[in-house]
Amino acid sequence: MRQSLIQWVGIAWTILYAALVVWLYAAAPQSIAEVRTQARVAAGTYEVDRARFDAGRELFLREQYAAARAEWERADPARRDARTQFYVAYSFYRQGWGRVYSDDALFKQGLEAVDLAIDLSSASPLTVEDAELKMHTAAELKAELERGLERTADDFNPLKVFRERK
Amino acid sequence: MRHLLLPTIFLTVALLGGVRVAADTRALLFVPPPLVTLILAAMLVALFARGGALKVGRWLSADLGAAENVSHALTLGALFFASAQAFNSVLPDAGLPRLVLASFFLWTLWQNQFARFDARRLLRSLAALFGTAFVVKHLLLASLGDPEGGWLRRLAAAALEGVALGGPAYAASTGYVSFFALALYVLGLFLLPPAPERDVDESRAVGLARDLKQLPARERALVVEELSRKTEEGGAD
Repeated sequence: MRQSLIQWVGIAWTILYAALVVWLYAAAPQSIAEVRTQARVAAGTYEVDRARFDAGRELFLREQYAAARAEWERADPARRDARTQFYVAYSFYRQGWGRVYSDDALFKQGLEAVDLAIDLSSASPLTVEDAELKMHTAAELKAELERGLERTADDFNPLKVFRERK
Repeated sequence: MRHLLLPTIFLTVALLGGVRVAADTRALLFVPPPLVTLILAAMLVALFARGGALKVGRWLSADLGAAENVSHALTLGALFFASAQAFNSVLPDAGLPRLVLASFFLWTLWQNQFARFDARRLLRSLAALFGTAFVVKHLLLASLGDPEGGWLRRLAAAALEGVALGGPAYAASTGYVSFFALALYVLGLFLLPPAPERDVDESRAVGLARDLKQLPARERALVVEELSRKTEEGGAD
C-alpha cells in the first residue's frame, strides 16, 4: 500500500515537474519577475495593476505619452489586457499624429498594439468608454492608424492642416 | 528514491541545461535541445544499456505493476532529456567549435556502439569530452566575447581570425548554471541503479504476521516449522 502510494506520488510529481519545465521553455520568461507574471497568467489569476493604469492615464491626458506607456507596461507586463493595449495604441496615435505628416514608426507600433488589443478581445468588439477620447472602439483606432500609414494623393492636400487630432 | 529523487534530479538537469543568461540585457534565455543533442542522448542511453549500466528489461517489465512501469518509464524519459540537455549545455551554440565538438561526441559514441565495450574507457573519453566542451564554451569562447578581455582574448582573436566562432555572448553566470547542471547530472547517474530493486509490499507481511499471532499456539508452531523447513530447502537448493 505504502509502496503503491509512493509510486503514484512519484508519477504525479514527475508529470507536474516535467509540465513546468516544458511550460518554462514554451513561455520563455526573461526574468524571475516575468516567471511570476507568466505563472499568474497560466493560473488565471493575472490582473492589471489598476493604480498604475490610472497613473498612466493621467500622464496620457497630460500628453506625456512615453511616460504613460512606461506605466502601462508595468501595469500590464504580460500584455494580456485589451483595454490597456488600446490605450497604448492610442498613445502611439496621439504622439505620432501631425498636422502636416504622421510619424510612420509610431503609427506602426500603434497598429501592432491595436491589433493585439483586438486579438485579446476576440470574444466581443472592444469598446472603451472614456470621455477624454474621441475614438472609442479598437476598429476605429485601427482604421485611423492605417489611414495615417497610407500614401495617397490626398497627402498633398493643403487643407489637411485644418484637420483635428482625435 | 527512484520514484521521486531520480526524476527530480534529471528534470532539473533538463531545465538548467538549456538556461543561458544574455550578456547585455541579463535576460534569461531557454534554449530547447537541438536535434544533434537528442541524437547524442539517444546514443548515450543506448550505450548505458549496452554496457549494463542500465538494464532496460528490468526497469520496464511485465513482472512489474502498471504504476511501477509508468514511474520507471518517466524516470528513463527524464534521463534521456537530461542527457540531451547536458550536451546542450556544453556544446557551443553555433560556428566551428560547435561543429568540431559535436563531431567528436558523435564519433566517440558511434565508435563505442560497435567496438568491444569498455565502460571505463567510455567514461574516461566522455568525461574528457564534456570537460573540453565546457572549457571551450564557457571559458574560451566566453572570454573571446568579453569586450574587456585582456591579452589572451586579443591573442585568441588574432589566431582565430576569419573563423566563424558564432553564437551570442552570454553572461558569466551561464557557466555556473551549466557547471551545476553537469554536477547534478553526474550525481543522478551515480545514483541510478542498473536495475531497480523490487518493491516489497511490507503491509502484506505485517498483515500475515498479525494473522499468525491470532492462531492457537500449536498451529502457529506448525506454521513456523513449515516455513523453516521451506527456508532450509531453499538454502540447500
